[in-house]
Formats: sequence, C-alpha cells, structure tokens
Amino acid sequence: MSKAISRRDFLKVTGAVGAAGLLAACGGSSNSTAASSTASSAAAAESVAGLSTDPVTLTMSWWGGESRHNAYQDAIKAFSAEHSNITVNPTFAAWSGWEDTMSTKFAGGVAEDVCQINWNWLYNYSGNGQTFIDLNSVTDYLDLTQWDDAKLGACNVANAQQCVPISMTGRIFYWNMTTFNKAGITEVPKTLDDLMNAGKTFKEKLGDDYYPLHLGAYDRMILMVFYLESKYGKDWADPTTSTLNYTADEIAEGIDFIKSLVDGHVIMPLPTYYGANGDGATHQSNEWITGKIAGIFEWDSAASKYQDALDEDNKAGFTVGEEIKFGDYNGGFSKVSMGMAITKTCKNPAEAATLIEYLWNGDGAAIMGSECGVPASKAGLATAQAAGKINDLVAEANDKVMSFVSCQLDPLFESSDLKATGTGVYQEVFDTVDYDNASGADVVDTLLDGMSAVGYNV
Amino acid sequence: MGMKASNAIATFFKYFVLILVGLIMIYPLLWMVSATFKDNSEIFAGIGLWIKNPTLEGYRNALNNFGGSINILQAMLNTYSYVLPKVICTVVSSCIAAYGFGRFDFPGRKILFSIMLATLFLPQVVLNVPQFLLYTKFGWVNSPFYLAIWVHCAFATETYFVYQLVQFMRNVPRDLDEAAAIDGCNSFQTLYKVIVPMLMPALVSCALFQFMWSCNDFMGPLLYVQTPAKYPMSLFVKLSMDGDTGFAWNRILALSLISILPQLIVFFCAQDQFVEGISAGAVKG
Repeated sequence: MSKAISRRDFLKVTGAVGAAGLLAACGGSSNSTAASSTASSAAAAESVAGLSTDPVTLTMSWWGGESRHNAYQDAIKAFSAEHSNITVNPTFAAWSGWEDTMSTKFAGGVAEDVCQINWNWLYNYSGNGQTFIDLNSVTDYLDLTQWDDAKLGACNVANAQQCVPISMTGRIFYWNMTTFNKAGITEVPKTLDDLMNAGKTFKEKLGDDYYPLHLGAYDRMILMVFYLESKYGKDWADPTTSTLNYTADEIAEGIDFIKSLVDGHVIMPLPTYYGANGDGATHQSNEWITGKIAGIFEWDSAASKYQDALDEDNKAGFTVGEEIKFGDYNGGFSKVSMGMAITKTCKNPAEAATLIEYLWNGDGAAIMGSECGVPASKAGLATAQAAGKINDLVAEANDKVMSFVSCQLDPLFESSDLKATGTGVYQEVFDTVDYDNASGADVVDTLLDGMSAVGYNV
Repeated sequence: MGMKASNAIATFFKYFVLILVGLIMIYPLLWMVSATFKDNSEIFAGIGLWIKNPTLEGYRNALNNFGGSINILQAMLNTYSYVLPKVICTVVSSCIAAYGFGRFDFPGRKILFSIMLATLFLPQVVLNVPQFLLYTKFGWVNSPFYLAIWVHCAFATETYFVYQLVQFMRNVPRDLDEAAAIDGCNSFQTLYKVIVPMLMPALVSCALFQFMWSCNDFMGPLLYVQTPAKYPMSLFVKLSMDGDTGFAWNRILALSLISILPQLIVFFCAQDQFVEGISAGAVKG
C-alpha cells in the first residue's frame, strides 16, 4: 500500500466518527418517565426570594403565528405598565425548528426564564425535574387553585409542579354540512350507525368520490383509541408507568373497527388520499376544500383552520360535531395543549411567577383570549370571556370535548417514532391495513413492537 | 429535402425541446409568483397559473410588523449584516487554507487534509449542541453583531470550499509560482498576485454558494439570534407560519419572493463568472 490512507480506510474512519457523534447526540436526551400525578409536594418546595423593587429583567419565549406574537407582546406591554420595574425581553418564532432550538437551550442551561412549552417536553427535557422549577415554590405569586387538580396533575412530573397548563385540547368531529345536505342528511352524525349510514348514502347519492369523513394514519390511531376507550372504559396506557392497558386481541378489534369504516365507505382509503395529496395535510387537500371529504376528526384548536380552508360554496356548512359514543363509556382523551414553565436558571422566579399569574389568571388573559387555546385557568377563562376574546368556534369545540372525554393521555403516545408522517409506526400499521387489505390480527404485532421500542410496557 | 430544410427542422426541434424543458424548470417559480395573488383555497385547488380572484392581501400583509419589533426591511438589513462578513471571511480563509494544502508539502499534510475532509461528513445536527455551549461560554449567543453566526468562517471551517479550491488550484501550473518566485515574490505575494486572479471564477462560485446558503440558513439564526428586532429574513418569513391555527400562504410566498430578489440579482450579475467557475474544474488535462 503506497498511499498513506486508502479510500476505503478513509470512509471507515469518517463513518465511525459520524456514528460516534450521532450516538453521543442521542444519548444526551433523557427519556425518563419517572412521574407522579400527586400534587402534594407543596410542603417540600422551598420558597423563593420575594419581589424585588430594583429593576428586574425577565426573558420569555414562545412559538406561534402572527396573532399570537402580537397578543403576547401587547400583554407584556400591559404587564410592564403595571409592574414598572420589570422588563420582559421576548423571543419567539414559528413552531418548525423551535423544539430543536429549545432543547439545545435547555441542554446549555440558557433557556429563557419563562417558557411556553409543549407537554411532552416535561418528560423529554425535565424528566427528573432538572430543567423547570416546582411552581409550588411560588404559590405566593401564582394562584395554582385556578386550575383543576386533574389538569395540574398532568403537569406534575418527577414530583414537581413543573408547569401550569395554558389550555387543554382534545379531538372532535367537524362536519361540512353543505355536502351532507347534498346527500340528503340534515343532522350531524351522533352515533356509529349514523356514521355508517352516511357512508352508504354518500356512495349512493353523491358517488364514489365523496366520503363523510377522512382520517389520516395518526387520526385513525386516535380514533381507534377513542373507540377502545369507549368500549372498555380504561385509559390506553397508564400515564405514569406507560403500561399498555389493552391486550393484543382488543387492539386487533380496534384496528378492525377502523377497517370497517374504510369498507363501509365512511372514510377514504389511504391509497386514494395519498394518490391525490401525498402526505399533505387534509385542510390543504382539494377534496376537503371542495367538500368531497365532508368531515374530519381534529383538535378543537384546529376549527378555524379547517373552516377557513373551505371554498366559498362550502364555508357556511362548517359545523362542530358531537362526540360519538361507540360503547358504554365516554372514550377519548384530553391533553395539555401547551404549558408555561419557569426554568431553573431563572434568577427572579417571584417576578416570573407574577408574569405567569398576570398572563393566565389576571388581566393579561383578556389580551391573550384564545390565542393559545381556550384558557385552562378558571379566572383566565372568565376574564377572557368577559372581554369577548374567545373564538366562538374554538370555544364550542373545546366545550364539547372537555365535557365528554374521560381518559388520560400518556406521554409516549405522541413519540415521534410512532406518530411521524411517513416513517411512524402508526402510519405503517394503517397503511398495511389499506394497501394489503390486512386485518387487525395481522398488524397488531407491528404496532406492539413499535410501542415497546419507544418505552411502553406491552 | 435539402440540407437547409433539414437544418431548419433540426433547429426547430432543438429549440422546441429546450423551451419545453426550460418552461418545466421555471414553472414552480412562475407558480410562486402567481400564488402570491391567490388566497389559500385557490392555492390548494390546483397548480394552474391563472388567478381567479386576484388579491394584493399577501403583499399588504408582508409589510406588517410583529408587535412593532421587526419588519421586512429591518429583517433584510439584518440578513445582509451577517451574510456579507460571512462570505468575505469564507472566501479569504478558504483560499489561504487551500493554498496551504495545495502548494506546500509539510509534515502531516495528508492526514490533516483527510481529517479536514472528514468534517465534511459531520451533520450540522451533531454539532449544534457543542457549538451552542461553546458560544454561550464566549458570550456570543444573541450578540448584536451575530458573532456566533459568522466568526467561525474566518477559520476555514467551510470544508467544502477549501476542498473545491484545492481542486481548482491543481489546474494552476506550478510554473507560474516559480516564475513569480524568480521575480521576487514571497509566498503571500504569489498567492494574491498570481494565484488569486487565476482562481477568480472559483472564488466567485464559492462566494455565491456561501451567499445563498447563508441567506437560506434557518437553524443558525434560530439558535443564535434571540432578539426579535435582530431577526433575519429566514426567521421573519416563517414568523407567521402557525400550523395550529393556519396562516395565509400568499403572504408567506410574497415574503419569500421579496426575500429572494437580492439573491436573484446577485446571481445574475455574477452568472458569467459563476458558470465558468463550476465548469472550470470539469476538464482537466
């Protein structure tokens, strides 16, 4: 060998270096799920230094769209007018890339003092309580009693109240009644039979191109869980231990339920949808815009997005539906849509808590309205409603979801390995059902393997 | 059929194919321009260029500022205030590093060059956290001069360009270096009086690539710029893109169109040099 390094050796070395780097990066994020839903650590929490009269600067971060950016900034201005010694420096952007940025900042210990966070961040970045403070230590400044215990409990990780829920969300049906009326149906579907009949009527009256409902792969998974929870009355998995509560046979039954919707022309087969739209979102699909897909099962916060997407002929028919009871129980889950937390690196937790109090329990709630969803805080909701700042459509959807659902979500359900578009296990399962005409029993093992790979006790 | 007629037919078909392919290539850009005048439902209704209900909403909203802290003009100024130093630093440092690797025989040259090339294969994702920690220590995060974004370029960290320039430098005959040496040039004079002029097309293409990549860089500014008033275009365009509640695409597309105008102008100005630059290394005697 004459040359110092052959090409093959070179590739080996670079491959090894690259792989080592990747491993190191993956090992960094702890996925601990040590959690407790008891909100009893108030006594153990240390109290913090009181409010300062000297000038204090807080930093704050959030993600969102234009109207949310504006609302937050207005609220901050109003807050600073009330607390003249506190300056709040915000940083904000859209969602894409935001989690990468925030996780880097959490790792570097330089995240903002007050952060708008996603619920699963508590488990992903603060599973041992290493990133956010226990809000029980600032109860002098932040009134935690404005939130129901169940809602607070969902944010209690590693025996610490790591965030307060800004809003809760859940899935509900939305219907395009313009199309339903064309098919001669005047009432929104309220039972499974209504749904199956709608499928039949659509096929007969409007033709093969029209479907009463569309569910993407992840939507199908959520509706399947909804169905099973209605039928058996137990959570999908235990939120603290991530132990799956359903047997393989029960899950196979759930998958077959989804399959029966496809076979009954209730939902569009995935190959048909992909053929026209690839992995594009439903509200951007021609079928939704023009009313060929006449229903969706979506988050309550998504109402206006789906309504706005409809063309002029269909817009007026957009209706918030009713949750459907598939069995003896009220199925479905609600989850913390987003939370607000104080980082451990914050030097002025008392002021930070005062800011959170102002935004979600105080006058700030009138400015924030439903920009971050319908407020979960009782005082905040009352203030925002009095100010007329709650979007009616979202409020109606939120109200229907919250008064119906009874189950809890576990933090692993939304793991990206499971729910990712294109590569996730959920999609693999439901694609197989549609493409290969597979039954629930054929694919249930794929689902269970995928779930145990992300940490479920199956 | 005479020679003339068959020539004419051949020319016709050549042009026909070229125009057809050209149209296909430029269609997305034309669509983007037309989509800036459509509303959401029309954008997703089809891929045609025809605008049924033209609206200027997109451009009007593009001028909105976010809570008064940032607007489109400021965002553009911000972008170029770090892109320019970044481009200059990259070209100068890469050129010097390439000169070292291409012209001097020093102990460990091969292994150092291999190590440098190896860094080409490190994905940016892997580097994000350590780099962020380092820059935090330096106090460069959220620096008003965007230090964390461009300073590293002054140390030839853009491996791709170093590699590209080393390849180009092979085409510059060593005789020229020797002639320069005989005329009394030292190493540096040889570089900037003889080699740099010969390398000009390659340097222009480096500068152009770096210019485009830096303008489009999203993750860098997202990590290192935290004051909204200092946001560059790449962040500004996306500020209103909220997946939860939906947003107007015509505004995003209008913003994108405005933000690529300077890039297009720079590209067309430097086109001749650029094309020469990419192809110069293609034929090597």
